[in-house]
Amino acid sequence: MTITIQRGEVVEVARGSQRRRAVPGMGLLDSLGVVWKHWRESFRQNRDFSDIHGTFTEQYPDERPNLPEAYRNMPILLFDDETGHEFCTSCFQCQRICPPQVIHMTQAKDTTTGKAVPSVAEFIIEYDACMSCGFCAEVCPFDAIKMDHHFELSTSDHASLTVHKQELNRPVSYYQSIAPTLWEEAKAGAYKKLQGNIKRRPDVIGIAPHLVDRIAARRAELAAAAAAAPPPPPTAPAAPPAAAPPAEARKLTPEEKAAKLAAIKAANTAKQSGATPAETPPAAAELSPAEAKAAKLAAIRAANTAKQAGTVPAAEVPPAPVDEKAAKLAAIRAANAAKQAGTAPAAEVPPAEPAPVDEKAAKLAAIRAANAAKKAAAEDNETERN
Amino acid sequence: MYDILDGLINSTLGFGWPSWLISLIGYVLVATLLFAVAPFQMLFFTYYERRAIARMQDRIGPNRVGPEGIFQPIADGVKMFTKEDIVPDAADKRVHLLAPIVVVAPTMFMFAVLPWGPGMVPVDLNTGLLFFFAISSISAVGLMMAGWASNNKFALLGAMRAVAQMVSYEIPAVLSLLAIVMMTGTLSVVSLINAQGGLFISTNDVAGVPDLGLGWLIFTPVGLLAFMCFFIAALAEGERTPFDIPEADSEIVAGYMTEYSGMKFGLFYLAQYILNFLLCAIAAVIFFGGWQGPGVGWLYGMAISPTNPDGSWIFNLLAGVLGVFYFLAKTYFFFFVMIWIRGAYPRLRVDQLMDFGWKFLIPLTLVNVFSAAIWVAVTSWGVADGFGLVEGWSPMLRWGVAFVTTLVLNGAAYVIVARIYNSAQAARNRFDVDELRESLALPR
Ligand code: SF4
Ligand code: SF4
Repeated sequence: MTITIQRGEVVEVARGSQRRRAVPGMGLLDSLGVVWKHWRESFRQNRDFSDIHGTFTEQYPDERPNLPEAYRNMPILLFDDETGHEFCTSCFQCQRICPPQVIHMTQAKDTTTGKAVPSVAEFIIEYDACMSCGFCAEVCPFDAIKMDHHFELSTSDHASLTVHKQELNRPVSYYQSIAPTLWEEAKAGAYKKLQGNIKRRPDVIGIAPHLVDRIAARRAELAAAAAAAPPPPPTAPAAPPAAAPPAEARKLTPEEKAAKLAAIKAANTAKQSGATPAETPPAAAELSPAEAKAAKLAAIRAANTAKQAGTVPAAEVPPAPVDEKAAKLAAIRAANAAKQAGTAPAAEVPPAEPAPVDEKAAKLAAIRAANAAKKAAAEDNETERN
Repeated sequence: MYDILDGLINSTLGFGWPSWLISLIGYVLVATLLFAVAPFQMLFFTYYERRAIARMQDRIGPNRVGPEGIFQPIADGVKMFTKEDIVPDAADKRVHLLAPIVVVAPTMFMFAVLPWGPGMVPVDLNTGLLFFFAISSISAVGLMMAGWASNNKFALLGAMRAVAQMVSYEIPAVLSLLAIVMMTGTLSVVSLINAQGGLFISTNDVAGVPDLGLGWLIFTPVGLLAFMCFFIAALAEGERTPFDIPEADSEIVAGYMTEYSGMKFGLFYLAQYILNFLLCAIAAVIFFGGWQGPGVGWLYGMAISPTNPDGSWIFNLLAGVLGVFYFLAKTYFFFFVMIWIRGAYPRLRVDQLMDFGWKFLIPLTLVNVFSAAIWVAVTSWGVADGFGLVEGWSPMLRWGVAFVTTLVLNGAAYVIVARIYNSAQAARNRFDVDELRESLALPR
């Protein structure tokens, strides 16, 4: 029998034989027959779904369910097995798309420059409100967040359902084991992007924090690289000995940064004072001894920093581009500073006394370097305690 | 029971106690036994139902508490006992408390006339059937009390539905039993069973057939139709799908039980399952010979009984075990059928329920009463009753004529009534659709 419905589709409906329906109530018996067949067949296990009869039940706690690859329960974060680097770049895409808004994160910052780094410092998912929609995994451009198969999350402690990065981190090999073909598809792109991001992650930022030995190894590597670089000239007053023994290696990098910062600032200031508007007579002509000293110092510092900076990523990157980069950066900064100075009311910088400015700048730089060193030391202590 | 105790105490042990004491001991024993057995049956039935319905739905059902989940009902019972008993503020507290008791008590009374095996009936009332069905309708009062006292619209709706349903379906149930009572000429449950000995050709009417305990009334056309009507009515009285309208959880939460919790709710549950057990049991007793089956009659012939005080108690035991086995097997089978029906059919609407009861079952059972009259006239009347025509026929011939006549009559009645009912329902559905269209102003 066919039924035509409004939209013009035709539905085939199989009816029982009309002859049997001549006796009323036979349809009722037919339906009893259907149930009887299900009852009788249900004593047979049916695991291959070969037909609609049989028992499909899995005895769950005894038998583990055979989950399909695309099964999704709760999101997890991936990190690379070898380098320990997390794939997440803190791009906030997942946080933005999450319908119940349960993803929260803080972007990692370079401790010395304060600049954002493509890595995530803290990442929180409220599992209790997550609805397992998988949007976060779909949207992540870096394949950093994936849906896990683990579903036994019951707990007597509500707070433990607010899950932090530490508990969210899983090695890629784990994800590969639960979803091999899915990872195969995503793998190449994910690693390519990760390599690019590692280059932009200074120090040990981006390495999964629980991989303590990996971080230590990386720090040792950095220290070794630093040690291989030529020692700085002894005249460098504010910069700590760059060729520190490996034990000091951990402190080295932040201090380096601090020194670099100070140097750049000093240089900028020097330039600024040099490039102040035309009312100022040419600086070189009236250089006081103090000025000359300060400028020299700044120059030495800048040189040192440049050298050191060049040796830092020596393992992976040829030093030249970095130097270039640093130089470029300095140039840009200088230009900015000049602009600023140009637009600022001239009265602010008394043109007749460039010396105190220089002195001030040098002093400031020194203080900043000292502070940074202290801070780095404090942080180190903290991490050690942890 | 009296005979066995009498034989044991006075004859075997020679104490010479008075008969009233022996009766008292007997009744106390039986009452204790029944009060232990009834909740046990309920526990078993909940487990049984869950497992069976699960299988019909391609599942396994509860299988984790104990081997194959057999202790699941005990776990549920513990849960019931430990739950908080909440009485709504606006409820009529005393009636609210009394209602479950009024519902449970009649179901326990009904055990009084239920025969478990040969000679194993607590009280052999000569109006046992009447007692059974009279008592069963008392629980409708309890349901109404529960619905009213809860002060909850769903509870009241459920109670209204329950009472309407019970009252309507008692009529076909009793009318179908009327046909049986006419055929057997007795209201006593025990003699009803005794009448179902012999072979399946007829009851004990035909002389000379061996007593295989298979003379069940279901094998006669009158009994068959009566059984169908009775069983459908029993589904309605036991509030089983497709007549679980009073507690339709998708419509009115839990009906009259909505405001009950903890053990009070448990009591309703208990009453319901015991009622189901009793309805299955009484169906087995009336139409399927109760404990009758091959071998029981023969064994019981050699046991201690009022007619044979010199029997051996070992045969009492054997006949009892076999009889109870047959009885319970039939009862459980009927409960399985109830579950089976639950697995197959959806719930009826209230008006459909009423239509079915009043327009289909009652006419059919009335025809069946007429058939029963023919049956009785052909098989047992004679010249004395003004029916000399059948006087000269052999018992086999009389039986055959009665069988064929009633079969044709009942069959024709079933087909005709069902068709009229069908077309009436279809016409009404069309009418309903038309009305709906008009009210929505849809084009034809
Ligand atoms: S799965 Fe959905 S709800 Fe859960 S964190 Fe991801 S986007 Fe949010
Ligand atoms: S998990 Fe993916 S989408 Fe979310 S912030 Fe990290 S990289 Fe971006």
